[in-house]
Amino acid sequence: MKDDSVNHARAARDFLQDHAHASWHDSAIWWVRHKRDVQAAQLPEWEGLRELARQIKAHTLSHLDVYLQEFEAKARANGVMVHWAADAAEHNRIVHGILAAHSVKKLVKSKSMLTEECGLNPYLETRGIEVIDTDLGERIVQLRHEAPSHIVMPAIHLKKEQIGELFQRELGTAAGNNDPTYLTHAARTNLREHFLSADAGLTGVNFAIAETGAVVVCTNEGNADLGAALPPLHIASMGLEKVIPKLEHLSVFTRLLARSAIGSPTTTYTSHFERARPGGEMHIVIVDNGRSDILGRADFYESLRCIRCGACMNTCPVYRRSSGFSYSYIIPGPIGSTLGPSRDIKKHASMAFACTTCGSCNNVCPVKIPLADQLVAQRARAFDAGAMAKGKKGGVLALRTLLGHPKLFELAGGAMRKIVPILPERLNSAIPYSRPGRELPTMPAQSFKQWWQQNRKKP
Amino acid sequence: MSRDAILARIRTARPPATALPDIHALPFVQYDDRYAAFAGLIANLGGQALQLAENQTIRQAVAAHFPAHGRLVDLTQAGHEEADSPHAWHDVDVAIVPGQLAVAENAAVWVSTPGNRYRSLYFLTQKLVLVVPRAQLVDTMRDAYRHIRIEEHGFGCFISGSSRTADIEQSLVMGAHGAMAALVLFV
Repeated sequence: MKDDSVNHARAARDFLQDHAHASWHDSAIWWVRHKRDVQAAQLPEWEGLRELARQIKAHTLSHLDVYLQEFEAKARANGVMVHWAADAAEHNRIVHGILAAHSVKKLVKSKSMLTEECGLNPYLETRGIEVIDTDLGERIVQLRHEAPSHIVMPAIHLKKEQIGELFQRELGTAAGNNDPTYLTHAARTNLREHFLSADAGLTGVNFAIAETGAVVVCTNEGNADLGAALPPLHIASMGLEKVIPKLEHLSVFTRLLARSAIGSPTTTYTSHFERARPGGEMHIVIVDNGRSDILGRADFYESLRCIRCGACMNTCPVYRRSSGFSYSYIIPGPIGSTLGPSRDIKKHASMAFACTTCGSCNNVCPVKIPLADQLVAQRARAFDAGAMAKGKKGGVLALRTLLGHPKLFELAGGAMRKIVPILPERLNSAIPYSRPGRELPTMPAQSFKQWWQQNRKKP
Repeated sequence: MSRDAILARIRTARPPATALPDIHALPFVQYDDRYAAFAGLIANLGGQALQLAENQTIRQAVAAHFPAHGRLVDLTQAGHEEADSPHAWHDVDVAIVPGQLAVAENAAVWVSTPGNRYRSLYFLTQKLVLVVPRAQLVDTMRDAYRHIRIEEHGFGCFISGSSRTADIEQSLVMGAHGAMAALVLFV
């Protein structure tokens, strides 16, 4: 489980202590952003696609109750059992109830940020069910008892040497062999056994189609497909914002998802699950867990358009230089920094400040969520909720007083122009503004206002 | 029952109505040579595309591509073997399965079998051969979805190349869980 008490600035400072690793993390993730650009450039309609995706999602959110009911009715007609969960606790209770009714001892799971959000694994494990995460990155972090540090690349914070050591201990691989192909195939062999012996499979949902009642799951590894095809029981957990109106709308979203996420024209597998396999049973759990609250907030409901591609974190200069573990919410980066504070502003306030407001996330988001704008609005909520760090709050209050009182502002400006040049060297070198490129500028002799009064042309 | 409470909350919270766009109004990319686009892409995705030669059978083409192989299942042949459970395909080395259509923009092939059978075979086999009519090669996913509506049999999947992962240091590795190699045979 993730430590939700971390403060972004403090955790980022710790992460940056290992400069070589931090630098590798930055460039490895930037490489994915670069691959995304290469893919985007190959489609003349790229920007038009993003606009279509935005409009489809916006329309769906404005008719969300209608489409969810249509989806439910179609899924039921397909013989799928549909459940509704108001919160994480109800989701976990429902999933456990289904598993218990089938006497399930082993569950294989594919990647699902929703079940991370709900804390499903520990809930099931304390009730005697063995849970095997099957996405390679998720399996790695599960074996390390960690949370994913990225929503698409869960183990991007690790070097292959660390994974080699882990697999030597857990899977019996050869000591010192850190070859990614060797390690991946060792995990393949081990997880095959789990797939073949599992009693149930749980998948997330990328898209739910109201028109047909099908859920669509996208993976590169094929783990969702093995987990859903082999055991007789398939449970799909979905956030209620995953629904889209028609099958044809997938021709917009499947074109954007993998290109945005990993710079690939598509995922290896784009699977449409409409009915259970012969002799099997299929369940869908539709989860609210705070989403309907976000839907009602004019400043933030657009974050529900998210298709979880992770492009915003790949482009984010702060995420790349601080890693997912510096963020207190289970989803890091720009999208997590609006979703987390929307859920609990007091707990996740520091995330709203993990942003330079450069706006790059807005420009890569395939559904055009104004992420940088939402983060600024979350900062205002952090202030109102009294959740801002003391020093920051003091600074904001001081600035408010200054900007609200022109005389005081002039006075302070005059004082600053006199004091800064005579500051002792020692004091000056101990503040962030002494770092290269961030030094305080040389103080001018007069303020702009004084200059203007002297130099403007009289009418 | 949380259902009605959730729907009631959504009705109160939902933003003002906006229109659903027409996704067909935007021109999508078109390829002069769809086969070349498909074949060029799949080579980078752990797969290969081949056009079946005249006087060549599917089995001959597969034998030439995968010379030494273990258990082979060929769903394109009438009277092929069946499995009692999805697990029974676990030791298949080469699976030859029909694909309904192929997409030039992303080297994906749509597979869907009547009765929702053989699903596990697509993912358990070590090497996957997809046999697609050349005439069913379309430009983009939009063209693909126009066709597959009627062909859903409870499950269908676009498969593009081999199973792969880059979860260890961003190194691309073929054969994460599904097929280690893919061959798309156009007929």
